[in-house]
Amino acid sequence: MVLALKNYFINIKKAFVSIFEGLAVTLSYLARKPITIQYPDRIPTPVQEMLPSTYRGVLEVDMKICTGCLACMKRCPIDIIRVDTFRDTETKKNYITRFDIDIAKCMFCGLCTEVCPTGSIRHSTEFEASSANIINMVLQYVEYGDKVPFYKPVKDQEPVSIPQNEAFRKVHKAWNAPAPIDPEKVRGQVRWKSDQSAEDKS
Amino acid sequence: MTKLMVETLDTESTVVNMGPQHPSTHGVINLKLHLKGEVIEAVDPHVGFLHRSIEKISELTQFTGFIPYTDRVDYLSAMFGNQAWCMAVEKLLGIQVPRRAEYLRVIACELNRIINHLIACGTMAMDLGAFTPFLHGIREREKVNDIMEKICGARLNYNYMRFGGVSRDFMPGLDKEILDFLDRFEKFLPEFNRLITGNEIFEKRLIHVGVIPPDLAISHSLGGPNLRASGVDFDLRRDFPYSAYPEFKFKVIIGGNYRGEAGDSFARYMVRIEEMEEAAKIIRQAIAGIPEGAYQTKLLRNPVVPSGEVYSRVESTRGEMGFHVISNGTDTAYRTKIRTGSFVAMSIIPPIAPGLMVADLTAFFGSLDVVAPEVDR
Amino acid sequence: MKELYDSISTSWQLSPGMMSLVTVLWILAIAVVVLAFMATFAGVTSWVERRIAGRMMSRIGPNRVGPGGSLQWIADGLKCFLKEDVIPQAVDKPLFRFAPYLVFAGCFAAFAALPFGYGIVASNIDIGIFYISAITTFVVLGILMAGWSSNNKWSLLGGIRSAAQIVSYEIPTGLAVLTIVVLAGTLNMQEIIKQQGGWPWYWFIFHNPFSLVAFFIFFSSILAEGNRTPFDLPEAESELVAGYLTEYSGMRFVFFFFAEWANLWVMSAIITTLFLGGWQIPGVADLGSVIEKSAGTVKYLWILASVASFFFKTLLFVFIVIWVRWTLPRLRVDQLMIMCWKYFVPIGFICLIGSALFAILPQTGAWYWFQLSIKLILTASGFGGVVILLWRSFYNIRALDDKIYFKVWE
Repeated sequence: MVLALKNYFINIKKAFVSIFEGLAVTLSYLARKPITIQYPDRIPTPVQEMLPSTYRGVLEVDMKICTGCLACMKRCPIDIIRVDTFRDTETKKNYITRFDIDIAKCMFCGLCTEVCPTGSIRHSTEFEASSANIINMVLQYVEYGDKVPFYKPVKDQEPVSIPQNEAFRKVHKAWNAPAPIDPEKVRGQVRWKSDQSAEDKS
Repeated sequence: MTKLMVETLDTESTVVNMGPQHPSTHGVINLKLHLKGEVIEAVDPHVGFLHRSIEKISELTQFTGFIPYTDRVDYLSAMFGNQAWCMAVEKLLGIQVPRRAEYLRVIACELNRIINHLIACGTMAMDLGAFTPFLHGIREREKVNDIMEKICGARLNYNYMRFGGVSRDFMPGLDKEILDFLDRFEKFLPEFNRLITGNEIFEKRLIHVGVIPPDLAISHSLGGPNLRASGVDFDLRRDFPYSAYPEFKFKVIIGGNYRGEAGDSFARYMVRIEEMEEAAKIIRQAIAGIPEGAYQTKLLRNPVVPSGEVYSRVESTRGEMGFHVISNGTDTAYRTKIRTGSFVAMSIIPPIAPGLMVADLTAFFGSLDVVAPEVDR
Repeated sequence: MKELYDSISTSWQLSPGMMSLVTVLWILAIAVVVLAFMATFAGVTSWVERRIAGRMMSRIGPNRVGPGGSLQWIADGLKCFLKEDVIPQAVDKPLFRFAPYLVFAGCFAAFAALPFGYGIVASNIDIGIFYISAITTFVVLGILMAGWSSNNKWSLLGGIRSAAQIVSYEIPTGLAVLTIVVLAGTLNMQEIIKQQGGWPWYWFIFHNPFSLVAFFIFFSSILAEGNRTPFDLPEAESELVAGYLTEYSGMRFVFFFFAEWANLWVMSAIITTLFLGGWQIPGVADLGSVIEKSAGTVKYLWILASVASFFFKTLLFVFIVIWVRWTLPRLRVDQLMIMCWKYFVPIGFICLIGSALFAILPQTGAWYWFQLSIKLILTASGFGGVVILLWRSFYNIRALDDKIYFKVWE
C-alpha cells in the first residue's frame, strides 16, 4: 500500500521533471538561428557555387578533350549515353558525330566519369535541369550536323579543360523551350551514314 | 449449484486496413488488422507495393553497374548495401582490399549507421506524436549529408564502394570536418535525450510494449538492434568479423538495462541511441589510425567474375544484410538474392501484435525500424 | 455592453415592437463582432502556430505570403473555400453535413460569456463559467456525428475515443473550476476577476497551494477538452490519418480546424479569468473601483488598459498551449483515462476541499499575515519556476555552443 502510494507520487514527480526539461529544450530553440536556406532568392551566393566540385550533378562533356573511346557508353548501367563516331576514310580522321546524354533517365551514379581517360565527361554542380518537354532532357553535346575530331592525348601533358559547369550551360535550354520540331533528330534511330558505326550495347 | 449460463453475442472482429498509404507505416506496407474495439486480434501484413525487381536487374546489368542499384535497396543506409555487394564479388574474384580502403569503408558505414538511427529514433518519436525530435535529427543528418557530398559526391545514393576498395580518396581536411561533426553530435545526443528519451509520456508509451522473447527473436532470425534488445549477445562485426572491424574496440549494446524489460520497444529505442554513440567512437578510432596507401585495387574495367557462389553478410542498421550471389563466368550475375533485416522483421509482427492496442501497434512497428524498400526490394 | 443597451433603450423613446427589433439587431451585431474576432483570431493563430512550430524545429515557418507570411491564413482559407466539396457516396449525408457546424457552434457559443476587459463582455450572465463548461461539451456531439457518418472505421475509432476523452475530462475541469469558484463566491466571470487583485500574489493561482495544483489540473484537462497534444488521440495523425476528420475536405475541414484554434482562445481566456486575475493590471489594486470612479477619456483609457492586460495574459497562454503541443508525444487512450480517473479526479477533490478550507479562514489579525505569507511564498516559487525554465533554456543553448539569435521576423 505504502509502495503504491510512493510510486504514485514518484510518477507525478517524474512526469513533471521530464516535461519541464523537454519544454526547456524547445523553448531554447526559439532563440537559435534556423538552419533553413531560403533558396533560391534569399541566399547570397547561388547554390551551384556552394557545392563542392566533386558533387555529382548533371553530366557535362568537354568535347575538346573527348578521345572517342566509348568507355562511358559501355560503362553506363542504363544506356543513356549515345555516342556516334565516324571515320572519314579519305583523311583517315575520326570524328564524333553525336554525343547525347539522356538526363531524364540518368541516376547520377558517376560510373561513366570514372572510366573517362581524360576527364572530359564529368559532373557539373548544376542540378536545375528540368524541362517542360522530355525531349529537351536529352542534352546534345555535339550539335546536329556537327562533327568533332577525336582528341589525341599528348604524352606527359594533362588535358586542359574548360571550367566546370560551362559545357552544361552552353547546351542546356531553358525549361520552357519548345521541343525540337523534328524529334528524330534527338531520339530514335537517326544515325549518320558511316563506315564504322558506333558499337551498340548488347 | 447451477452454472450461470451466459449467452454471448456472436461478434466478428472489425477488419481495418492500416493501408498502403499511412503516415506511420514507414513506406508502403499494408497491415490488415483484425480489431476488437481497440485491441488487436490478428495482424496480416501485405507487402510488395514497392517491389522494383532489383534482384532481376542484377541479372541484366554488369557487376560494376549494379553497385548504384545496391544503394537503392535501403536508401537510408546505402553504404551497407554497397559493402555487402562489393564483399560478395570480391570473394568471387579473389582480390584483397587495401587497408586504407577498408578504413574508409568503415568510416562511411559507421557514419551511415549514425544517420540512419537518427531517422529511426526520430520517426519513432513522430509516430507517437512528438514532431520536433524528428526535425532535430534531420538537422544533424544534413551535416552528415554535406560530409557525404565531399566523400563521394552524393547525399543519398552514394555509389561509393568499388570492387577492391572505394571510388575516391578523402579530400584533405575532411577528417577534421568529420571530427568536428562528431564533437557536436556528442553534445547533441544528451539534448535529444532530454527532449524526448527521458520524457515520461514517451517512456510510458514504449515500456512493456511488444516484448519479443529472445528465443522467438532467434527463431525468426531477427538481427541488429531488434535482436540485441531482446538480450541476445550477437553482433556480426564482432562474431563474424569482416573488413577492418577486428582492429577497433567497441561495445555491443544489449537490452535489458533500461527501464522496462528486455525486448520491449523502449529497449530497441535505447539500443539504437547507444549504438549511435558507439559508432561515433569507432569513427574516431578509424580516423586516428587510418593508414596511408591505395584506396582501390586497380581492376580491369569490366572484370569477368569466375563462376561460383558466395554469401556475404554485413551488420546493417536494421539487421543482417546478406547478398547471395551466383555467377556463371559472364559479366553479369546469374542470380542475386538480397536478404534484408526489414523483411524478417515483418515476420515477427503476427506473433507479437495480438493483444496490443492500435496505438501500441504504431509504437511497436516503429520500434522495429522497418522500411518498405528493404522489405520489397 | 448592458449599460450601452440600457442607455439606448431609455434615451430613444420607442414602441415595444421597435424595441424588440432593436434588441434583435443589437444581439446580431454583437454576434457578428464576436464572430469576426473569433475568425480572425483563428486564422492568425494558425499562422503564428506554424511560425512558432517552425522555429522550435530549427526552421522558418511560412514567410512568403504577405509581410512575414502574415497573410498565409487568408490564402489557406480562400484555397479551402474554393475547393470542390467532396462528399463520399456512402456517408450518412445529413449528419455528415451538419457535424462541422455543431463543433463550430459549441466553440463559438462559449465566446458569449468570455470577458475581454472591464465591462466588455458579450453577455454578463451570472452563471458564466458554468455556462461555458456546459456549452463546450457540445463539440462531443459534433465529433461523434463526424466519426460515425464518415462510414470509415478509422474515423469511427477517432470519434469514439474523442467522446470518451472529452466527457471524462469534464470532471477534473469542473473540480478545478469549483476550486476557484469556492474562493470567489460567484460563477460570474467579471465578478471572479473583480475578486482578484492587480499584483500576482492577489491572483487566485497563488492564493493557496491547492489552487496552484488546481491550476495544473485545469490546464491539462482543458488541453484534453480541446483535443490538443498530448491528448490529441482523436486526430492522431500518425495512427488514424486524421481521425474523425479523414473524410472531410474543403470548407468543412476548415470549420473543424477553426473551432480548434478558436478553442485556444477560449481555453486561455478561461485560464486568465480564473487564475491570473483577468484584466487586472499589476500595480493597480482593484481596477474595478478605479474605473468606476473615473470618467471621460481617462475612463476609456483605463478600460483600454484592462483590455490590453487581458489580451497579453491570454496570448501568453495561447503561446504556452502551442509550445506544449510541439514538445510532447501523445498519450495512449487507456493512459489518458488512467490519468483522468486515477490522478486528476482524486487530486481535484483534495484541492477542492483544501481550497474550501482556505476560503473560510478569517481575514483579520494573524490569519491575514499567514495567508499573505503563503501567497507571497507561492508567488516567489511560481516566478522562480519560470526563471529556472529560462535559465535551463539558456543552458541548453550553451551546451551545444550555439549562439543566441533573436531575430523573429525572418
